[in-house]
Amino acid sequence: MALDYRKCAQEIVDHIGGRENVAQAAHCATRLRLVIKDNSKVEKEYLDSVDGVKGMFESNGQLQLIIGTGTVNKVYDEFLSITGMTAATKDDVKAAAAAAQPLWKRLLKPIGDVFVPILPAIVASGLMMGLVEALAKIPGLGFAESDWFGFLDMVANTAFAYLPVIVAISAARVFGGNIFLGAVIGLLMIHSALTNGWNAANGYGVWYLFGHNFMIGGFTIGQINQLGYQGHVIPVILSVFCMCQIEKFLHKHVPEMLDLFITPLCTVMITALLTFMLIGPIFSSLETIVLNFAQILVKNPLGAMVMGALYPATVVMGLHHMYNVIEAGMLSSVGLNTWMPIASAANFAQFGACLAVGLKTRNAKTKTVAVPSALSASLGITEPAIFGVNMRFYKPFVAGMVGGAVGSIFGAITGIGATAYGVTGIPGYLTINNPIIYTILLAVSCGVAFAGTWSFWSEEESPAARSASAPAPAAPAASAAPAPQAPASSSEELFDQKAIIKCEAGEVFQPVRGTVVKQEEIPDATFAQGVLGKGVGINPDGETVFAPMDGTISSVAESKHAIGITGPGEMEVLIHVGIDTVNMNGDGFEPFVKEGDAVKKGQPILKFSKEKIKAANYSDCVVVLLTNSDDYKEVQTD
Amino acid sequence: MKEVRYVITDPLGIHARPAGILVRTLKQFKSSAVLFKGDVNVDMKALMKLMGLGIKQGDAILVRIEGEDEDSCAAALEKELKDNL
Repeated sequence: MALDYRKCAQEIVDHIGGRENVAQAAHCATRLRLVIKDNSKVEKEYLDSVDGVKGMFESNGQLQLIIGTGTVNKVYDEFLSITGMTAATKDDVKAAAAAAQPLWKRLLKPIGDVFVPILPAIVASGLMMGLVEALAKIPGLGFAESDWFGFLDMVANTAFAYLPVIVAISAARVFGGNIFLGAVIGLLMIHSALTNGWNAANGYGVWYLFGHNFMIGGFTIGQINQLGYQGHVIPVILSVFCMCQIEKFLHKHVPEMLDLFITPLCTVMITALLTFMLIGPIFSSLETIVLNFAQILVKNPLGAMVMGALYPATVVMGLHHMYNVIEAGMLSSVGLNTWMPIASAANFAQFGACLAVGLKTRNAKTKTVAVPSALSASLGITEPAIFGVNMRFYKPFVAGMVGGAVGSIFGAITGIGATAYGVTGIPGYLTINNPIIYTILLAVSCGVAFAGTWSFWSEEESPAARSASAPAPAAPAASAAPAPQAPASSSEELFDQKAIIKCEAGEVFQPVRGTVVKQEEIPDATFAQGVLGKGVGINPDGETVFAPMDGTISSVAESKHAIGITGPGEMEVLIHVGIDTVNMNGDGFEPFVKEGDAVKKGQPILKFSKEKIKAANYSDCVVVLLTNSDDYKEVQTD
Repeated sequence: MKEVRYVITDPLGIHARPAGILVRTLKQFKSSAVLFKGDVNVDMKALMKLMGLGIKQGDAILVRIEGEDEDSCAAALEKELKDNL
């Protein structure tokens, strides 16, 4: 299953004519995009069969190899290292891509990138945990006391208990650090010497690295709470992000002979200090604030509504672990857990939103993630749904917040509550005091979120889908040539999306920028009389000929001035640049394609020099003809 | 079946325009024609393929014509070849 990225990259390099033949390399979410100098050196038949290459096509003058999400960047990294193209190229591409997006999307994106690869682990754990915990709550079954429960509970919660490790490894990959150092940071954050984060309420030890000498408000610098980060996500991602920056910095500045021991040592040391002295305290104060705030909020229905809306956000921050404290407090003081309906509403709304995504999406991959994530959310384990689906597409997340708010206020007004804590969603039926009202609450929360997602979210708008389909900016190559598809910075011309010849088999688009003239006005009798087929002339403004349709190059004249393309429905199109330019013997013409090449509409296929045609005293009129127009009933030219 | 043999004298060979003329001439008849250049042969009604052969000055070609009007067709093609190529 695992792909050998280096081997894949090496084979790609081998089959495209080596490093010398690559002008530019970049990648988008799924594709490796290469600008090839000499297409004839590309061995397409081999490329297709390279392990890891799922498909290939040519577009916009780029050779695009479909490799896949999460894999293409690895292959690209190896590709850069093999070809010796600079890593700066890659970073520039990333920076350029990132700069184009608003800040909040830039902040959300890495979270999604970190979470998508680890989804299988948390989906498995989430579903199992939901089922095991639900079984344990069924009265009279005795499951909670059985050895099976002990065992299954352990298996089920593994991924969650050690979530920081999984997150750290994934984050290290995303941020370009060493994944094993990432694992060390993740492990450190849940080290067994620290009090388990879930048991924070029972108290924990504190270290004072610098004594009590430096205080900011109530906070002592150097104070380290001996408290693990079980179940946390954001602090782990932040820590690993810092780690990767430190590691990259050190790699760059530490002399090579010392690099192997200085860099990892300092990276781990500095990151550990940062994590426990800075990131940790900030988050634990946040937790305390949220906890106090939540306790005040839930005292009235409006507050409950706010809480229902904010609840998923606190899950994102990893702050929801503290809520057990509130629930336990409620049970001991008034005997009724009114927090649980809020949590249930919020969680079930995320379920609804995620389900809507799963049902609406046409992307098979999104569907396979969204459906099991939704299932898990219905059992009260919302992390897969939130991180894997809703937050990545952001609108479902917001719809879920709205649904949670509506459900929560309903729950608060009706005054329902639970007699225990620890479960939400469907398993919540086992602890709720009024199953009918609870059903309405779940239906309302889920329904609002589902409807909201269904009507406001669509695939095209989501950042993830966009990154998968939108062309990534091409890398400024070693030669610093302008990217062919970047209109602003490029001298390249844009392909005009205008059909000039139409017949029942399809459309032929204007292949070169300029003024279209009627066939009769082409300054050559053979062309004008339609001897070679119906078509038009173009008095060119541009000097680049683009493929007027998808097809196969059927001929390139030896004198390079004419190209034939066979398109859909056997349409044969001849693009003849200039009149009598056959006499120029190829001087002033530079075709990018050869016979047999597959071309995509809009792909540059030929460049010509208007100046040279003029110097040779010929007309530069570009003739575009459907040479087999006799084969079609209706041929319209514009 | 009729055969026409010809050696191209035009310095530019069979490029777009003369190829078009040949195809057009051929299409006025019911016969089909295959053009041979060495071992390679193409359906002469396919302009692109004809051009794709890249026939140059000095190349010897053979056109094999078959059909009910092959005689007149062969004569017409031969005339066009001589006139244009």
